[in-house]
Amino acid sequence: MSKLTTGSFSIEDLESVQITINNIVGAAKEAAEEKVKELGPMGPTPYPSIATLRDWSFTLFDRYEPVYTPMCDQCCYCTFGPCNLEGNKRGACGIDMKGQTAREFFLRCITGCACHSAHGRHLLDHIIELFGEDMPINMGASNVIAPNIQLVTGEQPKTLGDLKPIMEYVEEELGQLLATIHAGQEGAAIDYDNKSMLAGVLDHVGMEVSDIAQVTALGFPKSDPEAPLVEVGMGTIDKSKPTIIAIGHNVAGVTYIMDYMEEHGLTDKMEIGGLCCTAFDMTRYKREDRKAPYAKIVGTISKELKVVRSGIPDVIVLDEQCVRADLVAEGQKLKIPIIASNEKIMYGLPDRTNDDVDAIIEDLKTGKMPGCVMLDYDKLGELVPRLAMEMAPLREGISAIPTDEEMVALVSKCVECGECALACPEELAIPAAIAVAKGGDYSALEELHDLCIGCRRCEQVCNKEIPILSLIEKASLKAIAEEKGLVRAGRGQVSDPEIRAEGLNLVMGTTPGVIAIIGCSNYPAGSRDVYNIAEEFLNRNYLVAVSGCSAMDIGMYKDADGKTLYERFPGRFEKGNILNTGSCVSNSHISGTAHKVAAIFAGRNLSGNLAEIADYTLNRVGAVGLAWGAYSQKAAAIGTGCNMYGIPAVLGPHSGKYRRALIAKTYDDSKWKVYEGRNGSEMDIPPAPEFLITTAETWQEACVMMAKNCIRPSDNNMGRSIKLTHWIELSEKYLGVMPEDWWKFVRHEADLPLSKREALLKILEAEHGFEIDWKKKKIISGPKIKFDVSSQPTNLKRLCKEA
Amino acid sequence: MVDTTKNTKLFTSYGVKTSKAITTEVAAKLISKAKRPLLVVGTLALSPEVLDRAVKIAQAKNIPIAATGSSMHGFVGKDVNAKYINAHALGFYLTDPNWPGLDGNGNYDTIIILGFKKYYINQVLSAVKNFSDVKSISIGKDYIQNATMSFGNLSKEDHIAALDEIITLL
Repeated sequence: MSKLTTGSFSIEDLESVQITINNIVGAAKEAAEEKVKELGPMGPTPYPSIATLRDWSFTLFDRYEPVYTPMCDQCCYCTFGPCNLEGNKRGACGIDMKGQTAREFFLRCITGCACHSAHGRHLLDHIIELFGEDMPINMGASNVIAPNIQLVTGEQPKTLGDLKPIMEYVEEELGQLLATIHAGQEGAAIDYDNKSMLAGVLDHVGMEVSDIAQVTALGFPKSDPEAPLVEVGMGTIDKSKPTIIAIGHNVAGVTYIMDYMEEHGLTDKMEIGGLCCTAFDMTRYKREDRKAPYAKIVGTISKELKVVRSGIPDVIVLDEQCVRADLVAEGQKLKIPIIASNEKIMYGLPDRTNDDVDAIIEDLKTGKMPGCVMLDYDKLGELVPRLAMEMAPLREGISAIPTDEEMVALVSKCVECGECALACPEELAIPAAIAVAKGGDYSALEELHDLCIGCRRCEQVCNKEIPILSLIEKASLKAIAEEKGLVRAGRGQVSDPEIRAEGLNLVMGTTPGVIAIIGCSNYPAGSRDVYNIAEEFLNRNYLVAVSGCSAMDIGMYKDADGKTLYERFPGRFEKGNILNTGSCVSNSHISGTAHKVAAIFAGRNLSGNLAEIADYTLNRVGAVGLAWGAYSQKAAAIGTGCNMYGIPAVLGPHSGKYRRALIAKTYDDSKWKVYEGRNGSEMDIPPAPEFLITTAETWQEACVMMAKNCIRPSDNNMGRSIKLTHWIELSEKYLGVMPEDWWKFVRHEADLPLSKREALLKILEAEHGFEIDWKKKKIISGPKIKFDVSSQPTNLKRLCKEA
Repeated sequence: MVDTTKNTKLFTSYGVKTSKAITTEVAAKLISKAKRPLLVVGTLALSPEVLDRAVKIAQAKNIPIAATGSSMHGFVGKDVNAKYINAHALGFYLTDPNWPGLDGNGNYDTIIILGFKKYYINQVLSAVKNFSDVKSISIGKDYIQNATMSFGNLSKEDHIAALDEIITLL
């Protein structure tokens, strides 16, 4: 009898034959053995569900305690309520304020996870339909091609079809998690926090599926540090040409538009630009050959209304996520048709998927409808460029920007009642700026342009119905025209060879850290914040990884020689480089890089082994995330996933509204101990990272916090010395003082910054009781923390050899 | 006297419990009576006229300063006891009765708030409000709902005048 292995077989032409499958264990075992050979032994937690990783979450929460900052005293979730939970009271269902706040945060995490994963599901199904399940995954020069997937599920997908069961797993867990939001389910805050951590982990898996599918099939750059530079900014659009503006995150439909433009020789006859992450993926589409993209990145969600009001778009095409809910109303005023190309956003528009393109164009041109739904991508590809060409002459000169005369009349209407300032989420001094404008000086209004997130809450409360956003835009026309920068197109993953080359520097600390700047545009002091932060750390030889809207904004600013950071610094995974992984879903490559360091540099087993790898990252990889403008639920999920992976994150001040942080008590020595992996004994570590997720008030404070929290127990002397140098210098530069607790990080005189060694030894002796041998300039006693280059710091007792 | 109580208008609400609007006299009295006060100063206090008054308030009653964000720069070389701390961490530590404080002498009974964006300090104070007994008094220019007590919304000029009144009353 022939031996069956895994796979499929068919028996045709047999009748009245009973087939009994007795045992297929052998085949499964063989397949499992093959897998072990390739991926190493399976770790303890493949395909985790809610309870599987709870111990690891709780280990983290023991040091990094959940800090709840409720947005509201009330819970209005069920019909028992509303309940007043102020002062940690319990509601009618029994949940207390901490529980409710943890649930609210958790809800944000699963929403973010669902967004990325549903995006991934849509893309995956679409791409498999086009290219088939057997298409081999191609992420560039790597063997570890799906580090998040492998870490979480234990699988390493080889083909697009292999991604399907991964998506199914994420979807099932999301369903289980969502169920716990219901009233009368989970009651303990800390268990909602554990669920948030799982949601964050699943989010990175969903993102990774999404980007693997598109990088593989859509010709995106593949681990390419020299991916082409892309024009970015509102000023990059040639207004004389018919213009398509795409908004959202899912590039699937837009690729058809671009194909049509290419096939019909339209790429130089019209403009196609994007807002939010679809824009990034448009510039990655078919650009693995490094050819400069013709698609342009216009900007972030903050620019959506400003772009519409400018009248530049002749047609707007939407897909999903980060799309303003008022675009139909705003577009209609300016005769800009809105085409919804994804079921997730249909805006109440008529579904014309099954109609003839000519008929749809006619109805949109004549204003019979303000827009439509079009889910057939072949038709979408034809409809949008043709519509833009036909609308352009009809729309010539139409914009919401007031004329000079209208501007004078509008500012004179303002009575400075202050309602707009009260309503402004950025708390901008709008009345004062309008008051100055009454004298003909629009500079104060222009200053608001970059600070304004374009939400138009101000307009809705204005008793005089002044279109305040349009006033700001009018005052900023020159600045907007000059908004022209460059950003490197998303490169995708960090390759295995890059990890091999840089891993040692990272773990020893001689590369002072990885600063990962991600997220959206809800900045406290304008988009220049993220440029300032990136430049500060690049000049200090940190490795700066970026993605999404932050990557765009960083590219908007130039130095005195007119060069952006992407032109000044190369794009490798190496100290002093700035690498852009790509769009929102490419954030998975940033977390994946940490896993790869553990797997490739340290030889740790990745498969189904989350706690061990996260423990390695927490103790040895000096990486800190920064989501400075984080506004969305997706950012909450991304950051929380990073936390579970042992990567701390700093958020901008608006993100206190996420409601839950993870902050350690730096003053409680009992929290700053780990196990020595060689013998299971306890060892003291310095208080860093001192948080897993928290907020900073200003970008300057964030710089100091990030430098400090790149410190890890495993730093060697040179690494610690380099990290202390930067932390102390940044504290002196931005806070005006030495950090209070720098001395806690000193294990040996070689840890001290070289240029200040003697002065610091004096302080250690005078203020902190250290004993110094001044002849040799050596520390004799004092440090609580001992340094041993061979030590193996871990939070997991089970990893200790003699445990 | 500046009427610091008249305008407590809101755009959105943080729920059921909102702070009591207080006069400069009440604010000064509460600050004077506090057994262990802490002046929490945010980055917006770096404008010279506000910073100068923050220093004077601290000096008047020898109140230590928690300088959050980037405000520490403003207190260097001034004759005050100021230390940097992150505001979010401070909000958390204030809820811990075992926190040794910035000076090792224990937690505080009253915090006086100055120099913040509303959206940020309201979130920080929501932890203090719900999970501690620490009293918070906002003497910034905006009405801070999650403080125990707060000035109402003030113009810049009235705010400076109100701070001057507090300094005189201390």
